[in-house]
Amino acid sequence: MIRPDAPVLLEIRDLTARVEDQPILKGVSLTIRAGEIHAVMGRNGSGKSTLSKVLAGHPAYTVTGGTVLYKGEDLLSLEPELRARAGLFLGFQYPVEIPGVSNLEFLRVATNARRAGKGEEELDTFAFEDLVRERLQVVQMDPAFLERSVNEGFSGGEKKRNEILQMALLDPLVAVLDETDSGLDIDALRIVAGGVNHLAGPDNATLLITHYQRLLDVITPDYVHVMAAGRILRTGGKELALELEERGYDWVDAELAALERTPAEVG
Amino acid sequence: MVAASLSTPTAAAGAAPGSWIAALLANATGVASAGADALAPSRSRAAQALAQTPLPSRRVEAWRFTDLAPLTALSPTLLSPVPAAQPEVGAGSLRLNLDGHSDPLAGISLPAGLEPIGGDELNATLGQVLAATGSAELWPVLLNGATARNVLALRVRGPVATTLELVSDAGDGEGILPLRLLLVLEPEASLEVLQVHRSGGANLTSFVLEARLGEGAELRHGLLAPGAETGCLLATVAVEQATGSRYSGVSAHGGWALGRLEPRLVQREGAAHSALKALQLADGRQISDTHSQMVFEGPDGRLEQLHKAVADGQGRSVFNGAVQVPRAAQRTDAAQLSRNLLLSDRARIDTKPELEIVADDVRCAHGATVSRLEQDELFYLQSRGIAADQAARLLLRGFCEEVLQELPEAARPWQPLASLLGEQGR
Amino acid sequence: MASSATVGDLVSQPYKYGFVTDIETEKIAKGLSEDVVRLISAKKNEPAFLLDFRLRSYRQWLQMEEPDWATLGHPPIDYQEIIYYAAPKQQEKKASLDEVDPKLLETFDKLGIPLSEQKRLSNVAVDAVFDSVSIATTYREKLAEHGVIFCSISEAVKDHPDLIEKYLGTVVPGNDNYFAALNSAVFSDGSFVFIPKGVECPMELSTYFRINSGDTGQFERTLIVAEEGASVSYLEGCTAPMFDTNQLHAAVVELVALDDASIKYSTVQNWYAGDENGKGGIYNFVTKRGQCRGDRSHISWTQVETGSAITWKYPSCVLQGADSVGEFYSVALTNNRQQADTGTKMIHVGPRTRSTIVSKGISAGHSSNSYRGLVQLGPKAVGARNYSQCDSMLIGDQAAANTYPYIRSQQPDARIEHEASTCRISADQLFYLQSRGIAFEEAVSMMVSGFCRDVFNQLPMEFAAEADKLLALKLEGSVG
Repeated sequence: MIRPDAPVLLEIRDLTARVEDQPILKGVSLTIRAGEIHAVMGRNGSGKSTLSKVLAGHPAYTVTGGTVLYKGEDLLSLEPELRARAGLFLGFQYPVEIPGVSNLEFLRVATNARRAGKGEEELDTFAFEDLVRERLQVVQMDPAFLERSVNEGFSGGEKKRNEILQMALLDPLVAVLDETDSGLDIDALRIVAGGVNHLAGPDNATLLITHYQRLLDVITPDYVHVMAAGRILRTGGKELALELEERGYDWVDAELAALERTPAEVG
Repeated sequence: MVAASLSTPTAAAGAAPGSWIAALLANATGVASAGADALAPSRSRAAQALAQTPLPSRRVEAWRFTDLAPLTALSPTLLSPVPAAQPEVGAGSLRLNLDGHSDPLAGISLPAGLEPIGGDELNATLGQVLAATGSAELWPVLLNGATARNVLALRVRGPVATTLELVSDAGDGEGILPLRLLLVLEPEASLEVLQVHRSGGANLTSFVLEARLGEGAELRHGLLAPGAETGCLLATVAVEQATGSRYSGVSAHGGWALGRLEPRLVQREGAAHSALKALQLADGRQISDTHSQMVFEGPDGRLEQLHKAVADGQGRSVFNGAVQVPRAAQRTDAAQLSRNLLLSDRARIDTKPELEIVADDVRCAHGATVSRLEQDELFYLQSRGIAADQAARLLLRGFCEEVLQELPEAARPWQPLASLLGEQGR
Repeated sequence: MASSATVGDLVSQPYKYGFVTDIETEKIAKGLSEDVVRLISAKKNEPAFLLDFRLRSYRQWLQMEEPDWATLGHPPIDYQEIIYYAAPKQQEKKASLDEVDPKLLETFDKLGIPLSEQKRLSNVAVDAVFDSVSIATTYREKLAEHGVIFCSISEAVKDHPDLIEKYLGTVVPGNDNYFAALNSAVFSDGSFVFIPKGVECPMELSTYFRINSGDTGQFERTLIVAEEGASVSYLEGCTAPMFDTNQLHAAVVELVALDDASIKYSTVQNWYAGDENGKGGIYNFVTKRGQCRGDRSHISWTQVETGSAITWKYPSCVLQGADSVGEFYSVALTNNRQQADTGTKMIHVGPRTRSTIVSKGISAGHSSNSYRGLVQLGPKAVGARNYSQCDSMLIGDQAAANTYPYIRSQQPDARIEHEASTCRISADQLFYLQSRGIAFEEAVSMMVSGFCRDVFNQLPMEFAAEADKLLALKLEGSVG
């Protein structure tokens, strides 16, 4: 839902970043207001996953320039856990397995960390169990998953549902979902998308990072951005995604080639 | 028969171990080898070291379960075996017969990619892989060094299509048959080698193989060693690997009064692939022993090791599998599995993985199992009408074949399983 | 010891037990000789059989060599520089706690082990050992109502000499190994537990060992006997002040379980480990062995080893009785320059005996952490089973994790399975937890406790909840 007067939640300006010695982001700018759903599309290697990791503060990525304001304040100086507590959520493309750490305990500690960030009281174990059982329904997960170790031995679909469950518990202001649709069959995709739609509201925002149109068939974006070679090449409405689906990414290459001939830096 | 031409052997079997060595050294010196004696200087050094080294006793960890009595019961003389009947050489194989004194390359034309190493280069190269793998001072290596009279040394360039068969048969003669081998694989070279060592009597087959693998080289190495009730085998396989190289060792030994195999591998800069698959059998009063050592001296190395053992009768099987992952060896991936079948209540299994790690980003797993045949599997076969003893034989064969099938194709005429189980006439 | 409040105290600082109690101590001159052995025995008014045991052990010790096979390194120990007996000066052990020197009570208060009537723990009986002697044992009367004997071994020698003569040295003989022989010659105090036939001990028993003197060795001896059908859960804890010299701690623990008896022995070892450069700290050379003498008997060792400069310790089970069960659950954490060579021996003698080994080693800093275990199945162990799992977690690339599982079997109708793996705390896992709002230290703590969960589950409940925090604390600054 686009409301020009809605408050800006995330403002990315000329962001550049590298991993090891390899520059990946070469000047990304993006503004996200409350209530909006954005989709970033692009080929593998275009930098879209890097953008999500930089926003969440992954230590392997070094920001080399630009700014990111989150609710008007500098995001990049915050430790990853402080970003999460402030309401920024990253749904991982490859959720990490953590043997030995129980999913339930993990969810409880994370939920309480976020609640503390919102100035709310900690939930005791009983209150938390009630909450988690309620939120499980959002992703139609079996409570048995709570007793297992974090993501250990989960199928691809189960891992992604576990991500959305975390999103449902952490109640983020900005949710960045990195390739949440990858590796999902059609039923799992519908469940995951249903969860995202359920959680999207006028006060929060969602940034979908995806390769394919099919996620956007079930979650309707307000804005679609096409990324290539570390930059956003074009921004449009949901029809841009359809155009991509129809024409493929080849035109992106052409546009990119034209761009690289232009000496001036394009933001 | 060089040894036979000597005067009466100096010491009788069963004498004190120290005097056994002294007698052996006295008998071994002065035995001339065919052609130039490239080994003379190193032999005298090894002889000196051996004379000063006490026999490995069971107080030493590496020999704790391995009694040398069957060895020191042997005649301390050098053996020159007589040629024995062999299966026909298969197409695609070149067979070299090793008897410890004559030149195995005499009258042989080597296939493209193989050439002998001799002269100064041999002197410069010999012993280097032993040093690199920390094997130079091992007692079986000293024993071999003090007695071996010649060495088969080959350089390998490019891919060699022919399988090299290196064959010895100690026969029923008495004494010691020392064999020394050196293979230098140039970068990107590849070779398949099958060693077959047999015995039919009270003798020792001692061999030391040094193999150096250049970058990207590949050595597929099979070893089949069916022994004799009174025979001994002491085998050291030292392998030094450059990056990108692959060493794949498949060994099977059994039937020896004392059979001990020591594969010792080092990946000098890591980033190489090593595979060890082994089967050892101990029946009667036999001892089958493997002490393997894998050292990663650089990152990204890989080891896959499967060691299988069967102990029956009053046999004793010993396995010690050392894996060393020092700090430089980040991202090492090493897996070792020791699987043991204990088939008799008078047999023994001793198995000990030994993992030493000083690097945090590594995957090292090992496992060990000791049990008899799976009752469920036996029952399943029986429920299909197969008699219990036949079912047990089938399962035992299956257990062995998992390793034996990995031997080079050239092993087939030697009937690996039948020869190890003593089910064929010699 | 096992209440959550006290354990909370225990983990609140890196090493908060480094203080020295200023108390007048009676010591005998340093050095070891037959006269010293006789003097220790005389001070305790021991019966002749015990003096004989000590002297026999001493003479055997003189003939023995210090073991050097473990992957441990330390400068040679000068056994003539050690004081073998040190006791806080007070008269005979007091009938009432009110008469114990308040300084001692204060010391144990400070350690989180209140002994006085008003403050003591409600569900745990505690024997408090200070340097060479036991100064107090709580709840003795209540336990006595059930026929349970829980007292210091010195008192047991006086009050129950028949039991001591019957059991002492029968599990760990006086000449068992170098350090056990030394202990047998000079042991000063320790705990004695006797659970009579059919009795389930009504409360947790616990001994708390405190080294106070700087130049004293600690040689305690613990003996626990569970008669037919009896059961007991016992916990020991240990701390010592921070001295920059090394101190020797050579204890012996013997457990005897008769038919259907069950002994659960838990240790939380937090001796002073030395500073980050390896200066000072305790040499913890301990012999612990349990004998499942009876059919269907059960001995379980659980240990959390976090302290000591050097640990050399293999709590073992000799499974003699048919269907007897041995268990070993261990977490060993080493950091800085600590060295640990620890594990277990499961000796299967009787038929259908079963054993389980779960060992978790965590190596950080420049430390060295070795698991060394023996599983031995004798010819009569028909139908025996063993399962072992030993996992290592490496933190940083300067620490060593070694695994030496010895497996020996002479019994075809038996099954042994051993598994081992290594893991680390990966940057990806840490980031994942952080990205959910979990702070770095807490993320490490969660992962370490997850790694150790199988062992912590075996600890008495109040303690398990806090054990992971103890580990996280020990690891402070070593991750990342």
